[in-house]
Amino acid sequence: MNYSFTLNDLLFMSQGALITFVLTISSGIIGTFIGFFIGWARSSSSKIIFYLLGIYIDIIRSVPLILQFVLFNSFMAIAGYPMDPFLSGILTLSVYISGYVAEVILAGINSVPKVTRNSSRGLGMTYLQDFIFIVIPIGFKNIFPSWTGLMLGLMKDTSLIAVMGATPPELLRSSQIIINRVHEPILILLGAGVFYYVMCYLITYLAEKYEEKNHIKSMEIR
Amino acid sequence: MLDYTFQWKVVWKRLPDLFEGAILTLELTILSSIIGLLIASILVIWQKNDNIFLRNFTKTWISIARNTPALLQIYIAYFGLGSFGIHLSSYVAVLGAIAFNNAGYMTEILRGGFSSVSKNQNQAAKGLGLNNFQTYVYVIYPQVLKTVFLPMTNQFIWAMMGTSLGIIIGLQELTGMTTFLQSQTFRPFEFYFIAALIYIFISKSILLSSGFIAKKYLRI
Amino acid sequence: MIKIKDVHKSYGDLKVLDGIDLEVNNGEVVCLVGASGSGKSTLLLCVNALEGIDKGEVLVDEISVHDKNTNQNELRKKLGIVFQQFNTFPHLTALNNVSLALKLVLKMSKKESNDLAEEHLIKVGLKEKLNHYPSELSGGQQQRLAIARALAMSPSYLLLDEITSALDPELVGEVLDTLRMLADEGMTMIVVTHEIPFAREVANRVAFFHEGKIHEIGSPKDLISNPKKIRTKEFLSKIL
Ligand SMILES: Nc1ncnc2c1ncn2[C@@H]1O[C@H](COP(=O)(O)OP(=O)(O)O)[C@@H](O)[C@H]1O
Ligand SMILES: [Mg+2]
Repeated sequence: MNYSFTLNDLLFMSQGALITFVLTISSGIIGTFIGFFIGWARSSSSKIIFYLLGIYIDIIRSVPLILQFVLFNSFMAIAGYPMDPFLSGILTLSVYISGYVAEVILAGINSVPKVTRNSSRGLGMTYLQDFIFIVIPIGFKNIFPSWTGLMLGLMKDTSLIAVMGATPPELLRSSQIIINRVHEPILILLGAGVFYYVMCYLITYLAEKYEEKNHIKSMEIR
Repeated sequence: MLDYTFQWKVVWKRLPDLFEGAILTLELTILSSIIGLLIASILVIWQKNDNIFLRNFTKTWISIARNTPALLQIYIAYFGLGSFGIHLSSYVAVLGAIAFNNAGYMTEILRGGFSSVSKNQNQAAKGLGLNNFQTYVYVIYPQVLKTVFLPMTNQFIWAMMGTSLGIIIGLQELTGMTTFLQSQTFRPFEFYFIAALIYIFISKSILLSSGFIAKKYLRI
Repeated sequence: MIKIKDVHKSYGDLKVLDGIDLEVNNGEVVCLVGASGSGKSTLLLCVNALEGIDKGEVLVDEISVHDKNTNQNELRKKLGIVFQQFNTFPHLTALNNVSLALKLVLKMSKKESNDLAEEHLIKVGLKEKLNHYPSELSGGQQQRLAIARALAMSPSYLLLDEITSALDPELVGEVLDTLRMLADEGMTMIVVTHEIPFAREVANRVAFFHEGKIHEIGSPKDLISNPKKIRTKEFLSKIL
């Protein structure tokens, strides 16, 4: 058995980083999709729907992700549909992030001044036209920085799913596998840290470039 | 689904154990938030220090805390430091890592709080003859408190979520304890469900009381 | 008496005060006028040591303000300052805005300070607003609160920096009335203002600032009605 860190291990970790990326993007897309509709529903419907969905968001935000994951898995097991942890991981992450996205979306919709909406409706636009051509473009600019922040958080949170045994291993899990053989925890963990750091940095950098180009000003919503 | 009968009695019997876990969760949350806040209060000053070393130190701390997963930070504290002959218990590792993480985020919250108080307030207080200490205690800090109070509450809840990672290195805080109990009784869903309720109850209590304080005493 | 002697000050490369000489006698009201950016506010900040100076000296009752042996907090008790942007404390009620420094700086008891604060708030016409927060007051009321806050400290001198500029026109009168009352009581004041009619009526002397210097100074009659220098004329014709 080989006890030293090899090029293969680096490759293995890069593969892990790729899985981290896949997890982030897939649950990011699904979660944003769900969150968008929840946020929208909360902005425009009755008080009852507003509060019911508020409970959904509250629950998501006050139960640890890891617990949501095992709870979901055990529920699917007793329901008779045991699920592959990788898939249930993506689903849990999606639902989890949707709660945060919904809040940001709601803030984005509310950030569009009432007068603006009134004037577009006054021009004869339908509700949907106003929403698609006025509210979304304006709101999008306002929430873009917060949304990017959520996606960064999501990427870091994917590390959680791995320890529950999802395969293929993502970045942190693959580092752990290497540690079990090589016994150089600090080096490998720092290496994993560098991977995460670079990925976060890259996303932040791209987002900032995009913000600059489109004159988006940071508006923190948390 | 149809042939499964829920058995809540098992959970009921082990409720004291769950509470024990919940208390450890709360303890870790409170301690890591206090330590994080103390460090953040220093970092926010160093952030503007003339000394370039202190400035960069702060910058590095914040960006590592924010750009790497909390779980990785716990791993480094628990496994990684072993390489230097430092062997932390899982309790200390979780406490240290979450405090480290808290400090990074809280520094940013405090910075935002200070920048929201206009420089003129300082001049107005000094102009009335208040000394530096009085200016901070009676004029600047109360205003900073107003802006940071709710973000800090959110950070506190986040810290509580973070302590659940303790399960991964064998700590029996609420999540860890629950996992231990369900493995003995083979009733995972019931146990996890009740644990989730306890988390929700604690978060909600914190949010409600901080909302109350904000309204009643801070006029937010 | 305030003596300003050859005061120089720069922010980085920007020369803001370029040799200011000015003496203000007790009981005198001196108005400072001049274009924005000419250094008027900076001079006021230098008089009560909220800003340091590069060269020269400021004496208040013969005490050198910027001497490092001077206790500046002690000195500021003599000098009340009121700013253009009010700078009331948003987290305190009107009463506490005024009583805070009475307690902390003048070491008055709670009762004493509250009574005195109330008295001054009544004097500026805020009797009904004692327990209101600044956010619940109009601009004019906030500015009168700031004046009461400064006056309650019983300063020997008042430094007022464009205290009507941020107010809606209909609120300017109420604040100027307060100043007239103070001038009648013999308060010594340095007043930065763009209210030329007010300066003409109340000031003993008017100084015209230009690029960090006192370009021209004289009685209101001379300076406002008969300016000698071309720049003074230009400035006055613009704002009158
Ligand atoms: N704290 C500061 N730092 C840098 N420059 C300043 C500062 N305060 C004022 N200035 C500059 O000094 C000049 C004079 O300002 P000020 O005294 O406020 O003029 P005035 O009150 O006559 O309008 C201006 O150009 C202003 O931008
Ligand atoms: Mg000015």
